[in-house]
Amino acid sequence: MNFEAVIGLEIHVELKTKTKMFSDAPINFNDEPNTDVQLLDMAFPGTMPRVNKEAVRFAIRMCNALHMEIDKEIWFDRKNYFYSDLPKGFQITQQFKPIGKEGYLEIEVDGKLKKIEIERLHMEEDTCKQLHFSDYSLLDYNRAGVPLIEIVSKPLMRSGEEARKYVDKIRELVTFANVSDGKMEEGSLRCDVNISLRPYGSDKFGTKVEIKNLNSIANIEKAIDYEIKRQSELLFLGKSIQQETRRYDEAKKETVLMRVKTDAADYKYFVEPNIFPILLTDEFVQDAIDTCPELYDAKLKRFISQYQLEEVDAKILINNEGFADFFEKTCEFSKNFVAISKFLISDVMGYLNKENLPISSFPVDCKYIAEMVDLLKSNEINSSQGKQVFAKLLVENKSPLLIKEELGFTLINDEDAILNIIRRVLNENPTLIDDFKAGKTRVQGFIMGQVMKETKGKVNPGVANKLILQELNK
Amino acid sequence: MKEINKDVLVDASNRLLFKMEDSEYETLLSEFDVIQKQFEIMGHIEGVDEAKPMTFPYDIRIDYLRDDVPSTPLAKEDVLKNAGSVKDGQIKLPKVV
Repeated sequence: MNFEAVIGLEIHVELKTKTKMFSDAPINFNDEPNTDVQLLDMAFPGTMPRVNKEAVRFAIRMCNALHMEIDKEIWFDRKNYFYSDLPKGFQITQQFKPIGKEGYLEIEVDGKLKKIEIERLHMEEDTCKQLHFSDYSLLDYNRAGVPLIEIVSKPLMRSGEEARKYVDKIRELVTFANVSDGKMEEGSLRCDVNISLRPYGSDKFGTKVEIKNLNSIANIEKAIDYEIKRQSELLFLGKSIQQETRRYDEAKKETVLMRVKTDAADYKYFVEPNIFPILLTDEFVQDAIDTCPELYDAKLKRFISQYQLEEVDAKILINNEGFADFFEKTCEFSKNFVAISKFLISDVMGYLNKENLPISSFPVDCKYIAEMVDLLKSNEINSSQGKQVFAKLLVENKSPLLIKEELGFTLINDEDAILNIIRRVLNENPTLIDDFKAGKTRVQGFIMGQVMKETKGKVNPGVANKLILQELNK
Repeated sequence: MKEINKDVLVDASNRLLFKMEDSEYETLLSEFDVIQKQFEIMGHIEGVDEAKPMTFPYDIRIDYLRDDVPSTPLAKEDVLKNAGSVKDGQIKLPKVV
């Protein structure tokens, strides 16, 4: 008997707001512990929650990006539990009326698009950060109250690869919509996996195992693939699956038991009485959607159609933070869009990688990169001269035209002078024309090499090439 | 219904990091006594289990949302003032997992 995996994901995304979900305490990831805290975050009596407008806007943007129905009436609920990570004794969440429901996203599986339906998206507050040691725990309340959205998929994924692609797509959406850093390693995007196995063809669900604390997208795939293997082996041996929570041990490359689940926790949810129901206006919702930055798929499509870029180049520019913006700003100064994309991907990216710098630290203005590309494209300088101009440009950040003149780079464009050299080469090598007519295309390159040698690389290659062909075809 | 006695309250206040005097426990116990009696009376009302909670006294909607502007947070010393034990600027407590 073969088994089919049934996988659903719950993803928590920390929103990139300046303040917390219900208090105006600042949020700064790198601040000292317990320095970004307000009275409400510590649950002092008499303090009241006030809903962060930006967090609601961000949640709306994500609902829209995920094709969800948006509920304009915002209600919050209390999830009651007694634990040290929230001093109030409850978490404010949206249990009964999530802001978004019934959405989907698409991932590519075996060359085809697969729609993964999303059950709900709701807003809530994060808990405090707990550090556990051998005999004590430490609490940092800076994270307590940070706005979160939780995105819950339907159990429609069937492999680790599909889950990885789903999380990657969510990460791409939250970062392009600029609602979150989406960094799994820093905890701003966290993923819990629910996985069960069932015989192929069955519509019943098997016993569900939860995998928590997955800190990278690659580990999601590895953990699921391991778990499918583990559960399959147990089922083949006639053993039953235990309802439990496991974590992924990166060193062992396997999932490890954390705790066995008994009864479902009873959180005694009820409506949060300290926040009146909030009715969002149509204008507010529309504005949140309209001000959303361009998302990945739309940008890719536009780069290909507007700038005529090859898909592979467009993807490189969009996938590397800041490059797409730099590219578009450069295109304001030159129409050589494709050449600009190639120059950024090869020369600029090469330089930044070598120096280990982000594009935001690139020392050259967009207009000079555009000018540099134009010089190369119009053959006013050749590629080896271009490398020297670029090296100086990186240091001096000034007009490449000026640098070219300072370096004395002028190309020979005089057709009579170039023709004289070509004819001399042909006279000295009388078989070349016959060789060319016999189909030996390397003849052209040989003559170009001789012309370059004669002129010490200063001939305009475009003009020279045209004249070489003209002479060979006579 | 769970019996509320002093042990339960001491356990709860310890967990919540509240330090309470004996007289305050006595006050709280007497208040719980009243509350429990009120719940008992309500438990006898016909159909009470089917009643939906009336969270808000009026059926109203508001449009207030707070602007995302940070305020000056509490001083770290104030945040940690009520903590029984502090280590490296963090609240220290017996291991919770």
